[in-house]
Amino acid sequence: MASPSPRAKLLETRCLTVVRGGQPRIEDVSVAVEAGQILALIGPNGAGKSTFMKAVVGILPSQGELFLDGRPAADLSRRERARRLAYVPQHSALDAPMLAREVVAQGRFSHRGGWGRPSAADRAAVTGALESTGALALADRPFTRLSYGERRLVLLARALATGARTLLLDEPTAALDVAHSLALLSRLRELAADGHAVIVALHHLDEAAEHCTSALLLQRGRVARSGPVAEVIAAVPVREVFGVDLVPGVHFGYRAPEGEKP
Amino acid sequence: MKITLVYAVLAALLLAAVGLALAVGQGHLSDPALRNALLELRATRVAAALLAGVGLAVGGVVVQGVFRNPLVSPSILGTTAGASLGGQLALLALAWGSAGSTMPAELVLPLGCLAGAGVSLAILLVFCRERTGNLVLILTGFILSSLFLAVGGFVTSLAQDQWDLSRAVVAFTLGGVGGTSARQVAAAAPLVLVGLLACWAWSGTLDVLISGEDEARTLGVEVGQARRWTVVWVAVLTSAAISVGGNVAFVGLVVPHVLRPLVGVGHRRLIPAAALLGAAFLVGCDVLARVVPSRAELPLGVITGIIGAPVFLFLLARSYREVEHG
Repeated sequence: MASPSPRAKLLETRCLTVVRGGQPRIEDVSVAVEAGQILALIGPNGAGKSTFMKAVVGILPSQGELFLDGRPAADLSRRERARRLAYVPQHSALDAPMLAREVVAQGRFSHRGGWGRPSAADRAAVTGALESTGALALADRPFTRLSYGERRLVLLARALATGARTLLLDEPTAALDVAHSLALLSRLRELAADGHAVIVALHHLDEAAEHCTSALLLQRGRVARSGPVAEVIAAVPVREVFGVDLVPGVHFGYRAPEGEKP
Repeated sequence: MKITLVYAVLAALLLAAVGLALAVGQGHLSDPALRNALLELRATRVAAALLAGVGLAVGGVVVQGVFRNPLVSPSILGTTAGASLGGQLALLALAWGSAGSTMPAELVLPLGCLAGAGVSLAILLVFCRERTGNLVLILTGFILSSLFLAVGGFVTSLAQDQWDLSRAVVAFTLGGVGGTSARQVAAAAPLVLVGLLACWAWSGTLDVLISGEDEARTLGVEVGQARRWTVVWVAVLTSAAISVGGNVAFVGLVVPHVLRPLVGVGHRRLIPAAALLGAAFLVGCDVLARVVPSRAELPLGVITGIIGAPVFLFLLARSYREVEHG
């Protein structure tokens, strides 16, 4: 087994490879994130962003090494992994009229004992997670009746309820309007400032450049460039991977009005 | 509605059904010579209906959770038909003396049902993974049911040359609690109790599985293990129910549907509620079986089928409407 990874790294992959149907979907992806860091996972459609996330959270089988809190993930049980690493899928498969509060309570599964009764600590964590994503008002509404943006908040709250310090979000801003995207990305920055490590797959390079500290640019399943966000989202790599030119000096962004929280 | 109120209403419903089932039927309780014997007979069939109701309703809740599909139940998935075939084979084995010599007769029937239900669910799990759609799942259940019914027909034909045996096989196949003995009830009761408690213990896991296997994995669920164990407990519940009630269909479909709007989709609340309503429903159906005028007592499976099949068609139509209109 490889030597343990330094403690400061909450998540590290070494040569992560996923092969499906005889074809490598991602190949030799090595990356590490620390507390306080927001890593943007970027790349064209089909570059392997979702595959990378699914491999890291254990939905897809993979080769290579994965460390969580410096420990090899292979040595951890499912519950131990779930307490370290939380995943917010792009779409939840949940199609039952479960209350938002119950959906968030799913995040406490890995903390519960044998009979699985929710404890006072579980209930407090659920309420806290709903509060911190601004979704407390949705708590007693059925998940299936929520809007797309509201569902994303509830799923983020579920991830926070796990207590995991590493968060993986698969295209959380896809299909969100600018105000909701801004609110969600600002929330991710607050979480990073709180000591979380965040890996977020994003389609919009402007969002990545604005809100993330580092970036991993994937192309056909391989790492094209990784490092500080300003070095990755730069003219040369963007032209090489996306085939478009960055236009210098054009800045078109959004922010919350003065004095208001997004 | 407050959950305690729902439980109280369900418990009252069950008590009323049990009271009615003890009071109604052939013979008069006012006759002191018959009173005790009648009560004993009726108590046995009440207990049998109650156990079968609990087993099938809770089994229904759990398979709907595991397959993430509100249109399935042990009967639609072929589990009851499998248990029923297992029971028929057990009756045959008993009559031909090969099994009765080594274990008590009362245990052979539930064990036969258990084996049948287990085989049926195992086949289903092999063919239907999580993403299997309604249609394939229901068709697979239909094919399994047809297969088990066909083999059951063969078993019935084998039993034809012995009058008592063929009568027992036919009565068991039609479903009913009239001929269930107190010892059969005593053999099934622990199975139902253990199955009920085990399913309730898995309710936290089932609540996470509602979000699909992939998400459940990321939330800490050992999905394969959870599917295997919950299927074992559904097999235990279904087989115990079939061993005392015969092939009774649709209870596991109707009961969860009635309850979800009242208690929500969380299994920790749904499972005890299903146990209460399943018991009340089947005890009530048994009362109907006794009071509906007919040449002989109506089989229990006929009544649950007449109530359950239209409900199933209604639910199927509604689910397609929802798919079409979003």
